[in-house]
Amino acid sequence: MSGVHFENVGKKFNDSVAVSDFNLKIAHGEFVSFLGPSGCGKTTTLRMIAGLEENTHGKIYFDSEVVSQPDKKIFLAPEKRNVGMVFQSYAIWPHMNVFDNVAYPLKLKKLPKDQINSEVLKILEVVELKGLELRRAHELSGGQQQRVALARGLVMKPRILLLDEPLSNLDAKLREKMRKDICKIQQEFQLTMVYVTHDQKEAFQMSDRVVVMNRGRIEQIGTPDEIRHKPASDFVADFVRSGE
Amino acid sequence: MKKFSYAFGLLLILTFCVAPLLYLFSVPEASNYAEVFKNDNTVKAAVNTFLVSAAVGFCCLLMGLPLSWLLTRTDLKFKKYFRSWYCLPYAIPPFVGAIGWIILANPTSGVLNQWFGLGLNIYSFAGLVWVETSFLFTFVLLNALTLMDQMDSSLEEAARLSGASGLRVFIDIAFPLLKPAMISGFLLSFLATAASFGVPALIGGPARIYLMTTQIYTFQRMGTESGLQMSIAISVILAVATLALLYTAQVFASRNKNYSVGGKSSRPSNVPLGKWNIPLTTLLAFVLFLIFILPISGVLLSAFSAVQGSWGFSNLTFANYYRVLFVTEETPRAIGQSLLLGFSAAFICTIFSFFFNYFIQRTNWFGRKIAAVSVSLPFSTPGTVLALAFILSFSHGFFGADFFGIELSLYNTLFLIGLVYIIKYLSLSLKTVGDGYQQIHPSLEEAARISGASWWTVMYTIYWPLLRTALMASMFLVFMPVLSELTMTILLTGPGLETIGSLIFQLQEYSDMAGGGAAVLSSLVVLFILVLNFSLKTLSKGRYGL
Repeated sequence: MSGVHFENVGKKFNDSVAVSDFNLKIAHGEFVSFLGPSGCGKTTTLRMIAGLEENTHGKIYFDSEVVSQPDKKIFLAPEKRNVGMVFQSYAIWPHMNVFDNVAYPLKLKKLPKDQINSEVLKILEVVELKGLELRRAHELSGGQQQRVALARGLVMKPRILLLDEPLSNLDAKLREKMRKDICKIQQEFQLTMVYVTHDQKEAFQMSDRVVVMNRGRIEQIGTPDEIRHKPASDFVADFVRSGE
Repeated sequence: MKKFSYAFGLLLILTFCVAPLLYLFSVPEASNYAEVFKNDNTVKAAVNTFLVSAAVGFCCLLMGLPLSWLLTRTDLKFKKYFRSWYCLPYAIPPFVGAIGWIILANPTSGVLNQWFGLGLNIYSFAGLVWVETSFLFTFVLLNALTLMDQMDSSLEEAARLSGASGLRVFIDIAFPLLKPAMISGFLLSFLATAASFGVPALIGGPARIYLMTTQIYTFQRMGTESGLQMSIAISVILAVATLALLYTAQVFASRNKNYSVGGKSSRPSNVPLGKWNIPLTTLLAFVLFLIFILPISGVLLSAFSAVQGSWGFSNLTFANYYRVLFVTEETPRAIGQSLLLGFSAAFICTIFSFFFNYFIQRTNWFGRKIAAVSVSLPFSTPGTVLALAFILSFSHGFFGADFFGIELSLYNTLFLIGLVYIIKYLSLSLKTVGDGYQQIHPSLEEAARISGASWWTVMYTIYWPLLRTALMASMFLVFMPVLSELTMTILLTGPGLETIGSLIFQLQEYSDMAGGGAAVLSSLVVLFILVLNFSLKTLSKGRYGL
């Protein structure tokens, strides 16, 4: 389990600035949400933690280890970061069944077969998918696919678990249950978790702290109560009000 | 590692797809071109090429456009079956059709002339245009079918609600909307005719209608230095004209891009043909019989006839098959070498496309556009010209240079034939696999990277299994044309280097006129291609194949 530390992190695509002056310290076992309208840079920032995007400015630390610092040409490849991620599109590999999807990170770590077996089954029980090991992706509902993705992120005992709008494709009732389950799992595993969403209700309900973003910049960092009751800018006030 | 592989792939593409053509272009001097334009025969060949290609292009439109509409948007009977049958000639080498029509309609002993006294002469301008059209209309058809499948059917429905009926809808709505397909279809069939060799050689030769490709072949075969210079100069002229036309077409196509395709509609309704349905169905069946079943039957009749030229059902025999397959010395070698070349070319193209497409589709590295254009260059260059470029580059050109005192000449080797096949058809493979990549969401790769997979592991555990169908299709799509390739092979082949295509040509032109040998091998080629196409269609569940 690790904390994440951003120091003046920025990301430019050719000429356009996606993220700039991003400073944030995420503590061990903390649940932080990035909240903002689409195109505000929250997903880009999340992908920079994973190493799927390279930041063009600043430094990113996992605890005291620098994982990315472009001016010193330091960049740790995503496969070496030991970070779990749940994608908006689930990204369940269609050519593998549920078991193989979840077992994949452990197979790459070359763990012994029976250990893989027991750990996968254990994690499938946590996400309530026991008995579906041999199903293929297209035989699963959206909610079940989401749970496979979650199990795959958890099974590798990640330093950080990243979630990119994981519930946006689910219906309202299922979303409510998944929120509770994700919170329960976060506490049970003492996970450092970064959660990207454009739904303020979701962010306020689940997170320890919320980072409100707009046009690639941080508008405010605070607990859900602080954001709700002491908005730091008109943008934050508007954004919070529009969701209620 | 990734960047190194990419740079290496790019280097291979530039070396083999671009450099030989540039070398060819650099060889002739002004005086060589002057000679081409002074020579009556070459000028005539250029004029013939233009006239025949234009006539074929026009006939292909006349046939392909109405067909594409009938086969997609109407309630024509047996529409589905007609559609797959009409697309089939695309996969069959046109020289098979030429052999069939020579058997059916040569002026001295053609089957149709002998049985029905029709007095046909296939050795004529009309005969040449007819045989070319009966295969190349598929260029227009396939193009237009894609467009028709995408077209918003509400455009036609609105016309019907306005009171237009049946064919009126085609004339007022579909036909104008097909304009982009018209122009590109015309150009494709025009250029395919200008680049064709088999049909002009077999049918144009006896009719004394020479095209630029056959002229290049004749000059090259002379074996003299001046002959070679002539063939090079004609090649450059043909290549430049072809590429200039293609470029114009592309500019035109991009200007017309937003012209016709509307949104997706869920279930396009069919335009009722009413009283025209039965006559049109009959007409389509008859045309299919004329362009496909009749020439193939001609080939079969000849292959099974003990005596050629006196046609009847009394002298049918398997003797020709026995002789060609088991007695003729070259046949096993030709079949073996064609299979070897086909498998190697298909395999190498596919593996290369698998890796190189990753860089094209998944990175934004410099040079991707250049690579894509470079790969399409040999595919659009007439095969005759491409083969000549490789012969020159590998005999006295820069590839033929001495390396540390060892003369490295690949001219007259199976290796060079295989290399030319790979370069010619790489474009097909790259496109097929590239379309496959586009179907795979990038997050599937990212999820694997996050799980701890390196690039190689991602390629092996994620992309390889997910692309299996596309990779298989790429294998088939390269293998099929290579198996009976003639246009390029005929310039590259030599004693001991026979392939199926070159052997058929040789049997037909020189050595086995009376024995039906060319027909025997042609019938086997058709059978084999039908089986391959059917397997591809079945294995890919209808996504690939005709």
